[in-house]
Amino acid sequence: MSPLTRLLEVVGRLFVGLLLAFLYLPIVIMGLMSFNASPFYMLPIEWSTTWYVQLAGNAQLVDASLYSLKIALATALIATTLGTAASLALFRYEFKGKKILQALLLPPIAIPWLITGTAMLVFFFGVGIGRGLHALILGHVALALPYVIIVNNARLKTFAPELEEAARSLGANQWQVTRRVTLPWIAPSVVAGALFAFAVSFDQFVVSYFLATPGQTTLPVEIYAAIRKGFTPEINAVSTIIIVLSMALMLFTARFYKFGGND
Amino acid sequence: MTGISKLALLAAAVMIAQQAVAAEVHVLNWKGYGADEPWAVAAFEKATGNKVVNDFFNSEQEMLTKLRTNPGLYDVVMINAAFNDQATTEGLIQPIDVSGIANYKDLGPEKAQSPLLNHDGKIYGVPWVWGLTSIAVNDKAFDKTPTSIQVMWDEAHKGRVVLRDDALEAIQFGAIATGQDINDIKDMEVVKAKLASLMPQIRTFWGAENDWNQMVAANQIDVGTYWSGSAGRAKKNFKLPVTFVVPEEGAVGWLDAFSIPAGSKNVDGALAFIDYMIDPAFYVEWDNKVGAPVSANVKAVAELPADAFNRAVMGDPEVASRIRFQAPVSDADRERYLQIWQELKVNVQ
Amino acid sequence: MNGNSTLAAHRSQGMKAAQLLFPAYLWLVLAVFLPLSAMVFFSFVTEMPFTGKPWSMTVANYAAFFTTGIYAKLLLSSLRLAFEVTFWCVVLGFPAAYVLAKVLKGRSREAIFLLVILPFWSNGLVRVFSWAMVLRSGGILDTLLNAVLPFKVDIDLIYSYPAVIIGLVHSYVPYIVLTCYLSLQAIDDSVIEAARSLGASRFTVLRRLIIPLSLPGIVAGAVLVFVPVIGSFMEPRILGGRTGTFYGTVIEDQFVAVFNWPLGAALSFILLAVVLFILAAASPVMRRSA
Repeated sequence: MSPLTRLLEVVGRLFVGLLLAFLYLPIVIMGLMSFNASPFYMLPIEWSTTWYVQLAGNAQLVDASLYSLKIALATALIATTLGTAASLALFRYEFKGKKILQALLLPPIAIPWLITGTAMLVFFFGVGIGRGLHALILGHVALALPYVIIVNNARLKTFAPELEEAARSLGANQWQVTRRVTLPWIAPSVVAGALFAFAVSFDQFVVSYFLATPGQTTLPVEIYAAIRKGFTPEINAVSTIIIVLSMALMLFTARFYKFGGND
Repeated sequence: MTGISKLALLAAAVMIAQQAVAAEVHVLNWKGYGADEPWAVAAFEKATGNKVVNDFFNSEQEMLTKLRTNPGLYDVVMINAAFNDQATTEGLIQPIDVSGIANYKDLGPEKAQSPLLNHDGKIYGVPWVWGLTSIAVNDKAFDKTPTSIQVMWDEAHKGRVVLRDDALEAIQFGAIATGQDINDIKDMEVVKAKLASLMPQIRTFWGAENDWNQMVAANQIDVGTYWSGSAGRAKKNFKLPVTFVVPEEGAVGWLDAFSIPAGSKNVDGALAFIDYMIDPAFYVEWDNKVGAPVSANVKAVAELPADAFNRAVMGDPEVASRIRFQAPVSDADRERYLQIWQELKVNVQ
Repeated sequence: MNGNSTLAAHRSQGMKAAQLLFPAYLWLVLAVFLPLSAMVFFSFVTEMPFTGKPWSMTVANYAAFFTTGIYAKLLLSSLRLAFEVTFWCVVLGFPAAYVLAKVLKGRSREAIFLLVILPFWSNGLVRVFSWAMVLRSGGILDTLLNAVLPFKVDIDLIYSYPAVIIGLVHSYVPYIVLTCYLSLQAIDDSVIEAARSLGASRFTVLRRLIIPLSLPGIVAGAVLVFVPVIGSFMEPRILGGRTGTFYGTVIEDQFVAVFNWPLGAALSFILLAVVLFILAAASPVMRRSA
């Protein structure tokens, strides 16, 4: 390896390190402030675990977090399955109206969630879908689907259709082709899509706000509804716990799951 | 009746059938605004056997939307008196039989009989608490607490003034600053010009109580519009250097009241809940533990310590004479105010 | 192949495609498109029908966009914001994705890849408030820099346009990293090596090989950043202070501050039309290289 290549690699790693620092700066601040006794984020930090103690006694916030988790997992699962199937169709087949179907993925992203959420509220009541877990999942999956499809499409564009042809000519049926050839190729984007879908649902406020059963709220609803009063660092505490747990889970998964590596 | 509302009613009927559980009181209110205090809910549930289910709104418009799209779901709703008329006209709330509310007789008569809450001789709202929207100052920035609203325009505080991001509040504030009646603004151009001249002073537009408190805690602001209850809480519970000012030009008063939505399935429970909310015992504990606006119940205020802000300052007749209570604002006026406010904000950039 | 069999082939392809597409698009129709169609209808009325007030059909809500100067002005500043945020996201995200895909190997790559997504899982509002904490004078950045630097600096970025950019780039850059990674990782290393061994300079390889091959990822990521940023209102409002009024703000206001859904809906659909127009105009560029 030439010295220049090595230098460039060092610079590259440094760049990724800096990007991670940028990404985690506010997260670290959030974690620090969850240990700061001052509810107004005063510096210097006065170390305390008071917000964690209060959080333990705040059944509503804990319930809401678990409920959000449940919905986000269901959303990620459903949106990834439906979205991956749809992206395969968009990649594999030529048919009339394909462009329109692709363009139709944009409105749920482009129109602010506030408007889509309000529209869902009005429509779901108009047709009797009502509020509750089913309505929440209906709404969340719909908002997550475009992300899954767009991400998968980006990956599928790098896929050579000849590979599917070759497998077919060797006698594989459609399902075998999909399972043995196509899915392994797009596995990284399926996982990425699932992670996006999870994030979309987990941070979704408006739809949850309008469609959750009263008395049963989600974490973002708790957070947003609290802002008029000003939320306490309990919210930082619960967010810190969530981030630390997901980080542990992800790093654990990374140990055992090879993520789109072909090296 | 349109198709949509028919379907909505049908949906409501289905919901009713599903929610046959008796003795639940569904309450719609701001979050963190008294009715959802865990100790209060527990005490009420123990005393009456009703179970409280809280739901929240983030803006008055959203509260109305939730009422419109969830007929029969809620039993109690907290409505700012200025919106009561609209809710009544739209048929969202029902007349209240106050004989079921023992504490009703102790409410201040001018509040209880307010034309904002009474229509056609029927009672559509039980006044709960009231407060002021005015200015508050950071004590560190002033040797002597200012008495005039003009302090917001003082060059000495440039870049350290905040205003809430709310069109109605901003316009009414401008009306007071230009000596006009908040409920009947005659010369809007003067208000516009006055607010435009305030814009260079502004540090930011605040949205939440917490924003205000954080900025004062970090000593980033000197003065800004604020709510009386929040200022009291900042001073008493958070020990922040905040003083609420009822300036000589006057202040905007608002009144929050409880109503019973049309189609409530537990009117008795709703009456019991409202009764509990205006009870002196609840109010004193609320003001003490959390910090509250002023109770509409005269007896409740009388039970506060003599030096309590809500009794000493807000109960002062001289202060009371400077308060102008908000009247209902028509949709058209709201939209006009919003447009003026948006223009002001855009042109500042 | 004659025309008839092409048509038949198209039709059978269409049938197969329909099976895979049906669940996802049925879901979208039920949960998004039908509700949004109701909004389309509302954007053409004078008063919301279910309040009991008399109402009629009108195009006044769309006309308001053209007669009231501030909406067009705000849409332009939102577009500028979205372009700038997308630009910075690509500038930061693409090289990082390249390093992830081509330099890092093995477990550290998997770990860092996942670490890039993780901030996404924290609440948006909590993140924005944390940024406010970082950027204000006397805040974290100010305190840190002054502790390290020998001279006094006063960092007070909060309530400014750059603060909005920082907050939004932070929220959206993982999209670019991920989508670019997905297409960069698909490029066979041997192709790059072959080009290099044939004497192509690094820059030529980047310009002629890597960027064209990874363009689908860049484009997908850019769409996922650009499109939502135009309508954003939360980050600008909290971080932007006086400069935080954008197109999304005025839409939000129609639903939150006043009960003017017709105008809010009309402004949203104008936004959607502009987005579709920009993407359609850009699509030949995208297709050429995809």
